[in-house]
Amino acid sequence: MELLALENVTIGYQRGRPLLPPVSFSVSRGDLVGILGPNGSGKSTFLKTLLGLLPPLQGKLRYASGRKPRLGYVAQDPRFDFAYPLSVLEVVLMGRVAELGLLRRPRKEDIAIAEQELGAVGLQALARKPFRSLSGGERQRVLVARALTGAPDLLVLDEPTSSMDVAAEHALLSLATALTAARGTAVVFVTHEISAAAEIARTVVLLDSARSYFAAGPVEELLTSASMSALFGNPVEVRHENGRVFVWLSASRGGSGGP
Amino acid sequence: MSFWEARFLWEEPMLAAVLASAVLGYLGLFVVLRRITFTSAALSQVSGLGVALAFLMGSFAGVTPHTRTPLWLDPSLWALVFACGGAAAMSLPARSRRATPESVVALAYVGASSLVLLVLASPRMAVEAHEIGDLLFGDAVVVRRQDLWNLGAAALLVATVHGLLFRSFLFASFDSDAARVSGVPVRWMDLLLHLSLAVEVAAATRALGALPVFSFLVLPAGAALLLSERLATVLLLSVVIAVSCAAGGYALSWLLSLPTGPVMVVLGVGVWGLAGLKRLWETRGGLRW
Repeated sequence: MELLALENVTIGYQRGRPLLPPVSFSVSRGDLVGILGPNGSGKSTFLKTLLGLLPPLQGKLRYASGRKPRLGYVAQDPRFDFAYPLSVLEVVLMGRVAELGLLRRPRKEDIAIAEQELGAVGLQALARKPFRSLSGGERQRVLVARALTGAPDLLVLDEPTSSMDVAAEHALLSLATALTAARGTAVVFVTHEISAAAEIARTVVLLDSARSYFAAGPVEELLTSASMSALFGNPVEVRHENGRVFVWLSASRGGSGGP
Repeated sequence: MSFWEARFLWEEPMLAAVLASAVLGYLGLFVVLRRITFTSAALSQVSGLGVALAFLMGSFAGVTPHTRTPLWLDPSLWALVFACGGAAAMSLPARSRRATPESVVALAYVGASSLVLLVLASPRMAVEAHEIGDLLFGDAVVVRRQDLWNLGAAALLVATVHGLLFRSFLFASFDSDAARVSGVPVRWMDLLLHLSLAVEVAAATRALGALPVFSFLVLPAGAALLLSERLATVLLLSVVIAVSCAAGGYALSWLLSLPTGPVMVVLGVGVWGLAGLKRLWETRGGLRW
C-alpha cells in the first residue's frame, strides 16, 4: 500500500536553482529504501522534501490516503543544546506527541511504550539518565526509539549509524529490517555504507546534485560497479554472490583483490 | 514604623513582585534554553515605546497622567499591542527574513529605546516626563491597582497556555525538525511562546521595571539549570529562586533604604553565583585555583 509519492518534484532551497532533476518516487508500507550519494549530493534535502519539511520547488508531494502518514525522523548529527535538563525517557516520550495530541499528558501506557522502544534499541537501562550524559551513538539510538514511539508508518533515518560502533550499527540495521517485517513500517535511510545499503535495502536511490543525477530501483539492478564508480568518482567494485554483496574501493587495493 | 506595621504600604507591590517573578521565573526556562535572553530586553523597550506613544497621542487629545484615559489611549493596551507585534516579528524563523535573529532583536532594542527617549524629550511631554518615565519602566515600589490586575490576567493567561501546551513548547524548542515531522505546529508554538513572553513582559515591566524583569527571566532559570539535571526540579527551583529574590529584595530594600529593583537583581546575581560555585565544586571535585 502506497504511503506517499513525489510526483515530478523539483527539490532545492531557491527557486530556479534545483538540486536534482525532476523526481518521481514513491514509498509503500514495508519498503526498505537506502539512499546513497557523495557528500553534498542532496541526500538530506531529498529526505526533508519527502518528510514535508521542505516544500518542493515544483511538482507535488502526495499522500496516498489523502492525509499525512505517521512519520518518524532521525536527523543527521542533530546538534542538541545540552543545557536542556531532559532524561532519556523524557526525550523518548516526545515521540508520543502525535498519539497524545498537543494537550494531553503522557500516561502509564505511554511510558510503557517509550520504555519498550528504548528496549528495542538496547537502552532501557538508561531511561532515567540525563540525555546529555550519553555518548553520540547512544543519543542516536535514543532518537530512533523516540521516532518509534510514535508508531510511524514511515521511519526516515539520515545517516543513523554515523556515530555508532559496529555492534550498535548491526543492531540498528537489524531492527530496521525487523520493523518492516513485523510492523509493516517503511524505512528510508541515508548511508555512506554501500554494503549496508546492499545488505538490508530492497530499493536504492542514487543521487548526486553535482551531476544533476537521480535514479531509483532494485538493489540488484542499481548497485553495480559502474553505477557506484560513477556516483562516487572512484573505481568501486561491487560483487553480488549468493545473496550477499561485497563492495570495495578497487583503487585502494591496487585495482585487484577482493572484499 | 516597622516593616510589618507598614505592610499596608508594601502589600500590593510585594504581591505584584511575587506574582510577576513567579511567572517570569517559569518563562525564563524557555528564554535561557532557547538563547533568546535579549528578546525579553527588547520586548521591554518595545512595550515601553507603546506606552510612550500612548502618552504622546494623549497629549494631543488633551489627556494627562492625572486625568481619566479613554480606552483607546490606555498605555497598558498600547504596551501590550506593541509587545505582541514585536514578539510576533521576533518569532519568525530566520529563513523568513533576510536579517539574522540577533540583529532583529538588536534593531528592536535600540530602535525602541531611542524612540522612547525622543518621545519623552518632546516639548508636549516636558511636564510629565519624569512621571511617565516611572510609568514606562516601573520602580517596583509603588504599584497601581490596575497594574496588579494586569499582572493577574497575564499570569492566568500564561498558566493556561503553558499548562496545556508545555510539552509541545518543549519539543518544538528542543528539536524543531523532529517536532514538525511528528505533527507539532512548530511555527505556531514559537509564536505562542513569544506572545506569552510579550504579555508577561508588558505587564511586569510597568509594575517592576525593565531591569528586574530582564533579570527574573535570566538569572533564576540560569541558576536552576546549574543546580539540577531534572526538568521538574529545574522548573520548581527557577520559580522559587525568582519569588525569593523578589520578596527578599523588596524586604531588604525597605529595611536598608535601597532602591528596590537593583536589590532584587543583586540577590539574583548572588544566587546565580552560588549555584555556579556549587556546580564548579561538583564537576571539578572541589575548587582548584
